[in-house]
Amino acid sequence: MAKSKKILIIDDEAPIRRVLELKLKSRGYEVIMATDGEEGLNLIKSQEPDVVISDINMPRLDGETLCKMVNPSKKTRSFLTIIMTSRISPDERLWVSEMDDTVFMEKPFSPSKLLECIDHYLGIQR
Amino acid sequence: MRMKYSFFAPRSKGDGTQPRMRTIKMRLSWIGMSLLLLLIIVTFLFSKMLTRQEEESKIQNLRSNGIHLVNLIALFPIKDFETAKRDFLLRTLSEYTSQEGLIYLFIHDNTGKPIISFAPGNTSSQIPEHVKMQSLFTMGLAEQSFKTAVSGEIVYEFAKPIFERGEKAGTVRLGLRFRPVAILSLQHISILAMIIFSLFAVLILGYYGIVMSLKRLRTLHENFKRNDMDLPTDMTSDISARHVMPMIDDLEQSLSQIQDKLNQIKTINSELTSKLGVTTFEKNQIMKILDSINFGIIITDMHNNVGHINGYMLKLLNKKREEIIDRPLEETLNHDDILSFISTQEILDQDGPANHKEITFPDLAPGETFQVSSSYMQVSERNPIGKMIFVKNITHEKLAEESRHGFIAHIAHELLTPLTNIKSYSEMLIDGEIQDPDVQKEFYNTINEETNRLSLLVQNLLNISKIEMGSLTINRGLVRTDWFVDGCLAPIEASALDKNITIEKKLPETFPMLMADKELLKAAIINILGNALKYTPESGKITFSITEQDGYIVFEVIDTGYGIATEDIPHIFDKFYRSDNPLVTKQTGSGLGLSITSDIVYLHNGEIGVESELGKGSHFTIRIPKEEYQIGKE
Repeated sequence: MAKSKKILIIDDEAPIRRVLELKLKSRGYEVIMATDGEEGLNLIKSQEPDVVISDINMPRLDGETLCKMVNPSKKTRSFLTIIMTSRISPDERLWVSEMDDTVFMEKPFSPSKLLECIDHYLGIQR
Repeated sequence: MRMKYSFFAPRSKGDGTQPRMRTIKMRLSWIGMSLLLLLIIVTFLFSKMLTRQEEESKIQNLRSNGIHLVNLIALFPIKDFETAKRDFLLRTLSEYTSQEGLIYLFIHDNTGKPIISFAPGNTSSQIPEHVKMQSLFTMGLAEQSFKTAVSGEIVYEFAKPIFERGEKAGTVRLGLRFRPVAILSLQHISILAMIIFSLFAVLILGYYGIVMSLKRLRTLHENFKRNDMDLPTDMTSDISARHVMPMIDDLEQSLSQIQDKLNQIKTINSELTSKLGVTTFEKNQIMKILDSINFGIIITDMHNNVGHINGYMLKLLNKKREEIIDRPLEETLNHDDILSFISTQEILDQDGPANHKEITFPDLAPGETFQVSSSYMQVSERNPIGKMIFVKNITHEKLAEESRHGFIAHIAHELLTPLTNIKSYSEMLIDGEIQDPDVQKEFYNTINEETNRLSLLVQNLLNISKIEMGSLTINRGLVRTDWFVDGCLAPIEASALDKNITIEKKLPETFPMLMADKELLKAAIINILGNALKYTPESGKITFSITEQDGYIVFEVIDTGYGIATEDIPHIFDKFYRSDNPLVTKQTGSGLGLSITSDIVYLHNGEIGVESELGKGSHFTIRIPKEEYQIGKE
């Protein structure tokens, strides 16, 4: 069941992408990756992932804009979005709360916590 | 000069007494003469009145006698005067004829012909014709008076018709003499003398009363002029003065009080004038200060009428002072945000904390941000007399605030990213999720690199903090450039080997000496070399050279990397600036390295420059002056 779930990681930081890829693949998820928001947007449209994990500060298209662009499409096809943020502004929490099926995870986060969040959303018991 | 002397000489105290006395005597003579003239006029009028009264009495008697006589005679038939009673009448009348009595008597028949004519002397010819005619033709009693042409006597003529059987049968005319009263007659002279004596006595008493009172007042006036309020002692002995003394004392006291008040008012007036001058000066000073300060001020009364507006605000509103002063704020200030802010403030507590609101003037000051605030002007507690509205340009503060927020966000991101990596990688290793030894090694290396990255970032932040606070000090010392070059290249050589990048060193045969802060300068050059390594693709080449040119030690770093876009070159030394080039952004970087490098070079009075072409590589040059070393050598 878990194998059918597709997770998209969008981050310009290669070490983050690498560690999350290893963590999620070890739990049977299919992982696809993008290095910036624009590439991520294309993959959301083409690959229709079940979960999107995205950074905010990225070249070409930042995470906030990306979320706001794809949020309307969640009305027809819902998927979980996890925002990895190092920002401390209350404004961040506000715009995230206005998005559908979107949570934020403050850096530095634990990969295990991230996995728990994904499993919980997808209803997977381990 | 002589004329001047002779002009001023009579005004001296010793010589001025005689003329003044003469003037006083002359004035008193005039008063005496006037009073004497007044006495004569009053006496004349009084005697005139007396004689007039007596004359009126005499005339009254004369008229009474005349009318009585003419009525009596008119009772007799006309024929009696022709015959039997004619002589009797004439005899009787002759007895009346005296100086004070009858002058003439005529009895005419109905044709006007005289039947009896009793007129001694030539009296008949002195009677005016019109008097005779009026008497003859008047149907009732006629009374006339005239003055005789010759003797000038005053004659009263009385006439009455004689009626018989209902018809006029004749006329009786009677003339009586009137003698005017003579004032200097024996019987009047004593009364007149008494009147003159009485008036004379009253005038003398009045004269002295007035003269003494005037003298007393003159003394008082002169004392006032000399500011000497002492009274002459002989005044108290004077009878007239004693009468007026209480009045003068009161007057003196009143005048003294008035003078005191006058002096007080003069003093107060003088003080007020000087205070007004000071206040006007201070007001002008305050107005100048208000006009010179670099924020807008509008002062209104409690009805929002503008009392003052400073130069800054006028410039901001692009209006003239006369267009705004003494006019309602709502009419003159065409700015909805400010007006709504002020109306909101009016609702709030006057003693409450001052609020403010950000506003803009898109037409007059585009792109700039202003802050409006207001406060009440209070003369006492809860007694406001007006409002002050402040408009301050906070564009720079806003930019600084945005910059500060951006800095914090950026630093947080830069610090948390390597921390996240360290945490994630170490957690995976601890949880035993990585079993493959090669992957384990990769993980340990990543943790090590991220730790170095974090360390470098913290070091850069500390340097930036020191630079911004002005506390970054240079510990200059003698630097051996051969050792220095080795110290710079060592940290990058391992990574260069991993990326198969060749490092070419162009070093002189004799290494120059340099006075510099070795650690800071090394950090600067490592930043340049680190960038060259980071942004040069595998199998590239980095050339590092050191030369001595024109008193400068010149370090050059030339790479065959991605190069820098022309539009990025002016900004690469700005704090936190990173290019949008994906080849750049895919590399980790804080945007602080080149900023700190340039600061360190400038602290050494050096220069830093860059030449670059996109796709071909970059060429950085750092020039540090040698002069400090030469001074140290001496």
